[in-house]
Amino acid sequence: MSALAASVSPWQRLWSAYVRGTVRHPALASLVPFVPVVALWALVAQSGLFPPVFFPGPAEVVQKFGTLMANGILPAYLEDSVIRLAAGTAAGLALGIPLGLLVGLSDRAHRALWPVLLFFQAIGDIAWLPILLIWFGFGLTTMIFVIVYTVLFPVVLNTVLGVRSVPLELHRAALSLGASKVRVLWEVVLPGALPNIMTGLRNGLGFGWRALIAAEIIVGTSGIGFLMFDARRAGSVVEILLGMIVLGVLWYVVDSWVLAPIERVTGQRWGLVTRHD
Amino acid sequence: MSVPRLVAAAMFVLPLLALLLIWQAVVHGFDVSPRVFPAVGAVFQAGLEAMQDGTLIRHIGASLGRMALGTVIGIVTAVPLGVAMGTNRAVSTFFTPLLRFFSVLAGIAWIPIATLWFGYGFGAITFVIFNAVFFVVAYNTLLGVTGIAMPLRHAAASLGATRWQMLTEVLLPGALPNIVTGVRTGLGFAWRGLIAAEMIATNVGLGYMLFVARDFYRTEVIVLGMIVIGVLWLLIDRLLLSPLERATIERWGLVRAA
Amino acid sequence: MKSLTIEHLQKTYFDPFANKQVTAIRDISLTVDAGDFVAVVGPSGCGKTTMLNLIAGFLAPTGGQIRVDGRAVSGPGPDRGVVFQSFALFPWRTVLDNVAFGPKMRGVPKARRHEIAREYLALAGLSHAAERYPNELSGGMQQRVGVVRALANEPDVLLMDEPFASVDAQTRMTLQEELTRIWEQRRPTVVFITHDVNEAVFLANRVVVLSHGAVLRDIAIDLPRPRAWDVLIEDAGFKTLAAKVLQQVRTA
Repeated sequence: MSALAASVSPWQRLWSAYVRGTVRHPALASLVPFVPVVALWALVAQSGLFPPVFFPGPAEVVQKFGTLMANGILPAYLEDSVIRLAAGTAAGLALGIPLGLLVGLSDRAHRALWPVLLFFQAIGDIAWLPILLIWFGFGLTTMIFVIVYTVLFPVVLNTVLGVRSVPLELHRAALSLGASKVRVLWEVVLPGALPNIMTGLRNGLGFGWRALIAAEIIVGTSGIGFLMFDARRAGSVVEILLGMIVLGVLWYVVDSWVLAPIERVTGQRWGLVTRHD
Repeated sequence: MSVPRLVAAAMFVLPLLALLLIWQAVVHGFDVSPRVFPAVGAVFQAGLEAMQDGTLIRHIGASLGRMALGTVIGIVTAVPLGVAMGTNRAVSTFFTPLLRFFSVLAGIAWIPIATLWFGYGFGAITFVIFNAVFFVVAYNTLLGVTGIAMPLRHAAASLGATRWQMLTEVLLPGALPNIVTGVRTGLGFAWRGLIAAEMIATNVGLGYMLFVARDFYRTEVIVLGMIVIGVLWLLIDRLLLSPLERATIERWGLVRAA
Repeated sequence: MKSLTIEHLQKTYFDPFANKQVTAIRDISLTVDAGDFVAVVGPSGCGKTTMLNLIAGFLAPTGGQIRVDGRAVSGPGPDRGVVFQSFALFPWRTVLDNVAFGPKMRGVPKARRHEIAREYLALAGLSHAAERYPNELSGGMQQRVGVVRALANEPDVLLMDEPFASVDAQTRMTLQEELTRIWEQRRPTVVFITHDVNEAVFLANRVVVLSHGAVLRDIAIDLPRPRAWDVLIEDAGFKTLAAKVLQQVRTA
């Protein structure tokens, strides 16, 4: 006969504190797991397993972060990257949603354009860089084009999906309640497709920022991608790691705390099931 | 092929052929300089030449080879890791944000550091591909395994499944839809990473072929390369990924969970 | 079919949200004879699901012992078959393959295990659904599959965790009648957890009422078999027993 275990082990206490903490502050769940990783990183860097030229420690990266913030380089590059991404995304949405609506609503447009859309999406944004460089040179136009191209396709394809998933009965209900075709578009189709459009935006941005980085590496005038590649040319690993961390944190924050919740909320409000990663 | 399949294929190709005609008409009608955009014939010619002297095969081979190696190693390492992490509730809860972070960063962002660690060439490029596939697949596998409802695992246990049987009969099939999604996304990132890396880090491959042609304003080679890239990706997607998705997710009526 | 003995079962676990130990089962001692049908009822939180999970081996007890046919048990195993409230059918396998799963785990060759599966599907009137996937079936049909899947593995004890709670009332009555019919043919040893007092009295020959992690009352149900709803619903004996059990559950 074993006695009732009335005492709580220290591990259980720790786990309990973590669980209760993350209930009150959900952000903790995203942050705490990185602590052991950073610690491990510091340990490995310290141990000299890899030469410091290839594998600096977190302390150096933080230091470099401070330096680059202070002399304004990091904010400037960050601003450049973000502006490019934002501009490209805005244009991508402005082009993609109407196109998606058209292809989604019109069978003729769908038959004519769907294969073309799929093919151009398959070519991919980055393969356009060489010819864009010939046309527009190493500048802003080239980079914006690449981002617009990248964001466009997921937005269009998902908008089409969303439009087509709006049940016919909703169209009919609106029409029989006196809505004109334009009103149906605005009041029924767009809201109905919104969750899918959000998914498209999220996917598009995921590919979009990667395309931005690639473009900045190849076209190279400013931005986080340029920062990393320039540092590589100089053989300086610290900036590369810094750039990667900045990118990762930025995208993680935007995706997990801005885009995913919006996607979820639009999906839930409309009572639709959205696939999110 | 059955008649409906043939018709579907024709419906797919027709708009592209129309595009081809429009292309030729525009280049011809507006007298577009070959340094700006090539004529259809020029691209066709370049394609023939590149096939005859073997350069096209060499480039395609290099690109696909890197892709295949990086993808296979990526999947073979990521799935077991994802499964192992997914079976324990506490471990999976704790490590999900971590894996998500790396999955979010996967691919292109690693190009600078990859070229630093592995130098220019095969190693760096394959690493970028591996990286893209590994993190995305590991994260999605983790999501897939944790998404398997406990009663299913209990049911298998109470029907006498051993640990190995639990893995092959419950965990892997249950996580398969998410794994397939992960492979699809990972391959998408990997393919782009491949092309980008080949533009700056090597001297063979489709990305390289495109980039070097730019120096000589050989637009017909560039456009040829773009078409080849498009066709290759379509083939990978239609012949590999879509059937896989259809055979698993749709057949089993599973909704892909978060 | 074998007997089940539970001796002074105890279960406490750590609740990270409350940061303390919680007692789910205080002290349960129970004997289920071979071929017995025992229904376990009780208010929410009385520990009946925990008890079932302990018998099934999904949880480990903090005290006491569970024996099947005299042998102590630990961990899940094919000797204790389970039917789940959520059906827990493998969505990636056909109905036939689901039912053949247990034999497959034991290494029974394909032809033989399909034969066994078909035999059990016929028992539940599901032969026509053999090649379908679970998501193509209604809830009632899925649970029938769940029941025969557990039975096809010929466990010593059959554990049923509120198996009919997820189906509509009409289907539930049909399933209950089918279950008694199958039970009368095969006489498995059954432990059946439920919230529904009427269901418990209809199915079982013993009803155990749990309260706060311990046994409150053990009531014998001596109604004649076979049992059918249209008869029992007006039967005085049934109504008395049901009222008696209900009273126990409500005061628990």
